[in-house]
Amino acid sequence: MTNFDAAVSAEDLTKRYGSGDAQVTALDAVTVAFGRGELTAIMGPSGSGKSTLMHCLAGLDTPTAGRVWLHGSRHGSADRVELSGLRDDALTALRRDRMGFVFQAFNLLPTLTAWENITLPLDLAGRRPDQAFADTVIDAVGLRDRLHHRPAQLSGGQQQRVACARALISRPDVVFADEPTGALDSRAGAEVLGFLRRSVDELAQTVVMVTHDPVAASYADRVLFLADGRIVDELREPSADRVLDRIRALESVARGARTTVGAGA
Amino acid sequence: MLRAMLRDLRAHLGRVAMTLAAIVLGVAFVVATWVVSDSAAATVSSGSSRTDLAAVVQSRPKTPADAEVAADVVGRLARLPGVTRAEGVRSGYAALVGTDGKIGTTSWAETAGTDWDGSQRFTLTAGRGPQRAGEVALEEQAAADAGLSVGDSARVLLGGDRSDTATVVGVFTYRATGWEFDPAVAYDDSTAALLLRSRDTGAGATPGYARVELSGSDEQAVVAAARAELGTDFRVDSGSELREKQAASAQSDADVIRKALLAFAAVALMAGVFVIANTFTMLVTQRTRQFALLRAVGARRAQVRRAVLTEAVVLGLVGSTAGVAMGVGLGLLAMRLLPVVGDVAYVVSPWAVLLGYAVGVVVTIVSAYGSARRAARVSPMAALRTDAAVPRRSLVLRSVLGLLAVAGGAAMVAVTSPEDLTEPKRMLAMAGAVLAWVGVLLTAPILVSAVLGPLTRLLRSPRPVTRIALRNAVRDPRRTAATSSALMIGLSLVCAFATVGQTLSDDLTAQVRSAVPADAVVLRAAAFGMLDDTVRATARAVPGMTGLAAPRSGSVEVVSPQGASQDAEFTSLDPAAVGTAIRPRVIEGDSDLRRGVLLAERVATELGVKVGERVRLRFMAAGAAGEPAPVEVPVTVVGVHEGSDLLRGQLIDDALLPAGVSREGDSMFALGADQAALRAALERAFASRPDVVVQDREQLLDDLLEPFQLVLGLVYVLLGAAVVIAVFGVVNTLALSVLERTRELGVFRALGASRALVRRTVRRESVVISLYGGVLGIGVGVLLGGVMQYVILANPVFGMSVPWLTAVVALAGMGLVGVLAAMWPARRAARADILAAIATE
Repeated sequence: MTNFDAAVSAEDLTKRYGSGDAQVTALDAVTVAFGRGELTAIMGPSGSGKSTLMHCLAGLDTPTAGRVWLHGSRHGSADRVELSGLRDDALTALRRDRMGFVFQAFNLLPTLTAWENITLPLDLAGRRPDQAFADTVIDAVGLRDRLHHRPAQLSGGQQQRVACARALISRPDVVFADEPTGALDSRAGAEVLGFLRRSVDELAQTVVMVTHDPVAASYADRVLFLADGRIVDELREPSADRVLDRIRALESVARGARTTVGAGA
Repeated sequence: MLRAMLRDLRAHLGRVAMTLAAIVLGVAFVVATWVVSDSAAATVSSGSSRTDLAAVVQSRPKTPADAEVAADVVGRLARLPGVTRAEGVRSGYAALVGTDGKIGTTSWAETAGTDWDGSQRFTLTAGRGPQRAGEVALEEQAAADAGLSVGDSARVLLGGDRSDTATVVGVFTYRATGWEFDPAVAYDDSTAALLLRSRDTGAGATPGYARVELSGSDEQAVVAAARAELGTDFRVDSGSELREKQAASAQSDADVIRKALLAFAAVALMAGVFVIANTFTMLVTQRTRQFALLRAVGARRAQVRRAVLTEAVVLGLVGSTAGVAMGVGLGLLAMRLLPVVGDVAYVVSPWAVLLGYAVGVVVTIVSAYGSARRAARVSPMAALRTDAAVPRRSLVLRSVLGLLAVAGGAAMVAVTSPEDLTEPKRMLAMAGAVLAWVGVLLTAPILVSAVLGPLTRLLRSPRPVTRIALRNAVRDPRRTAATSSALMIGLSLVCAFATVGQTLSDDLTAQVRSAVPADAVVLRAAAFGMLDDTVRATARAVPGMTGLAAPRSGSVEVVSPQGASQDAEFTSLDPAAVGTAIRPRVIEGDSDLRRGVLLAERVATELGVKVGERVRLRFMAAGAAGEPAPVEVPVTVVGVHEGSDLLRGQLIDDALLPAGVSREGDSMFALGADQAALRAALERAFASRPDVVVQDREQLLDDLLEPFQLVLGLVYVLLGAAVVIAVFGVVNTLALSVLERTRELGVFRALGASRALVRRTVRRESVVISLYGGVLGIGVGVLLGGVMQYVILANPVFGMSVPWLTAVVALAGMGLVGVLAAMWPARRAARADILAAIATE
């Protein structure tokens, strides 16, 4: 796991829900690392544990066992943090300053304008936005003329682009995107994916994206396949067709236990 | 359908509980008020009617000397057929001297002394009745105020400047007959005959009886026999007449209490209506999707509407039941805690219970009706959307009506003028003020947007906490308005009364401060008494005195040169003291009383008399035969002054006053080279006079202002109840808002807001809502108070004194209310589960 420059890594990450007979293992000793400056997609059928993995990586959920590291700006730097054992306030500060989030349901604060939503993480930290960088992000998402609109006045695609800009504004160590195109039509989805791709290429951003859409996954540098709480396969330089092929292969391995690719998180 | 609704209600027990709590509180206050007023009425009227009276005989006095019934009359009455007992009741001046060496104000001193007897007049609560000289029994309240109990030595000030020291052997409560003040002091009969006199008649006057009480089984026979025996010189009332009079006056006292209390209950209820209606609206809003789902699976609009109304009826009934129970409990508790001496009657009438139910159910249904209609209008399509909302009513009609009401109300006040404020005009102005007040309630939602909206833009730079809190507050102006309106109702009335009180007390303060020099020493008669000649003579003899004003007032008729006349008051005093020991506020001319009279402004205006003209002062003077006769004194008007409570009416020279004109004064103002030394000398001179108090100007002011403070304090307490209910409304609104925003709060947390920050945001929103209600309430209240004092005093509307202290305390209180109200909702918000919040379905 240390043979390449990772932004986030996890070791033996396990998450179980319930107890006794009703116990469900959502993550089963997952060890994984996400490369710095890469767009990594996590795929898997419904219930495979992909959302749980992301939530544990982001410190939104507490794993039953195992550890998660958020590596600093350089490999082996002093900024390296282990998430388990951090108290809520420390985790909160970590999410605010070093992580970005894009959700399926946009989740913008309805009372704030687009600009206020974008700068919210900085506001919360009591920092002023770096105007030049903010301009770069806003131009990249193409929202210059929509900055003073409220979310209700924006289309779904525009809202999701605001959410992307919000995720990037604090130059986080990693951006977690949870089904970012799930609620969008294909054109708006393509815009958002294109933007995430450019943030990796042009701003050297690290992005981890959970998706069930092979087309979305094809924007990634690397695709991880999850099934029953384990990483079962990996694909570099994916195309939509290769992703689809791989899914079919995995499904036949599972001997038709599941007939469709998961329809949700 | 109904089952689905009930299931849903059960699933949201928290919200249901809050709605219920709102109903319970509103109902409880109304019921408690009713119970208190019923009980107070019963307490006032119970225990005071005597059953041992067949008739009461009093003298019909032609001269003050005839006021008493002579002892031989009692003997004649006792021998009448059918009379089993004839008891003469003595009455005289008596005042208990308190620990400060001065007399208190608990009893009407002129008739506060009586003789002990075995009738139903007295009920002992401790000790026994007085039997010999040196023993005395005290009325319970008077004893408590003087700090005396059985075994103590009591000093009693008596008529004719005497006093007596006796051992307290008993404490009693008293049953009054007709309109009689409760006495404070009871001696045994022979001691009473020796000691009790009227204030001015000293020792030596023939002791008699104030009345004779007759007992007998045949009341009519006793009355007839007494009338036949005594003729027209005496008045004979039958026992049943007296009891009826007593009951009627108690009933009217009780009605006054009830009306006052119910006015406050109405205010509390209004606040309650806002809270209940608001809570219901939120309850429906939050279930939009569920209604849409019901509609989608085939529920008709009428069915949805009915379901919501049924829910309201059920909640109303349950809430009312709890509210009635709580109200009865609170009412009875209040009666226990009230400082009432003697037996307290506890009454829970069926009306109290019925009213509680009526209020609870009707208010809930009315509050729910609008919500029910809107719930029924939810489109079935809303079930499919995540951001479905109940269609909102337009605010246009409401706001237009509100603005019209405000404008109309202001116009109604404006058309009346203070110069000629007749009774109908006062009513019109007051009605205008109330109309404008209602108008503000109606316009409250657009005011929220109009006031807080710009504020959110002004505060562009602040931390996200403030910004988000403000935005959340403005988000649903109707909700914020309803919440803060509930606060505003109670608060505006508190501030209105505070404004009136402040204006009255400022007026009085200004009058006293301008009339009395700061370095004057004030001599006052204690316990509503008057100063006598001895006091004036003693004061004049005190060394170190450089000036003494001893104003005394009486009535006079002022006749203008044209012959027009006006009944008024006069105040006579030593011209040398005018301008030094006491200073009239001269408007025109000067205040040299040696040259003539200083007219009161009102009289001068009314009669059209100018300075320099001559008027005639017509006094009633007691002639040599004792029959009063008019005496006219022609005099020049040297000036016009603004009358005050200390210098009432026309000011004239003592020397100008014809002999035999009655006049009285309760205050004197002394000046000396050394104020402290003069005060000490006066205190020494009057150390043996418990009925004379030596004080300075500010103490005099405190005494004069005390009644205002007492009344205002009571008003604040009662209106405070409305504020308490409103505070609950703030909690309710916040809690439901927090529930509604679970997702948003989760996102907020996910993006890096700490729990403390979330708490702070909710708290700040709460403070914003509360302060908004506070500012609105205080502002509207002060203006309302302005109109009220205009109506009462005919001062200009904006001539009111703003009660800054009350305003600042109220505003600070509202801030605190905001913080406290947010405690629970904020904790709830901070606990929002991030994962649950951001999970997509």
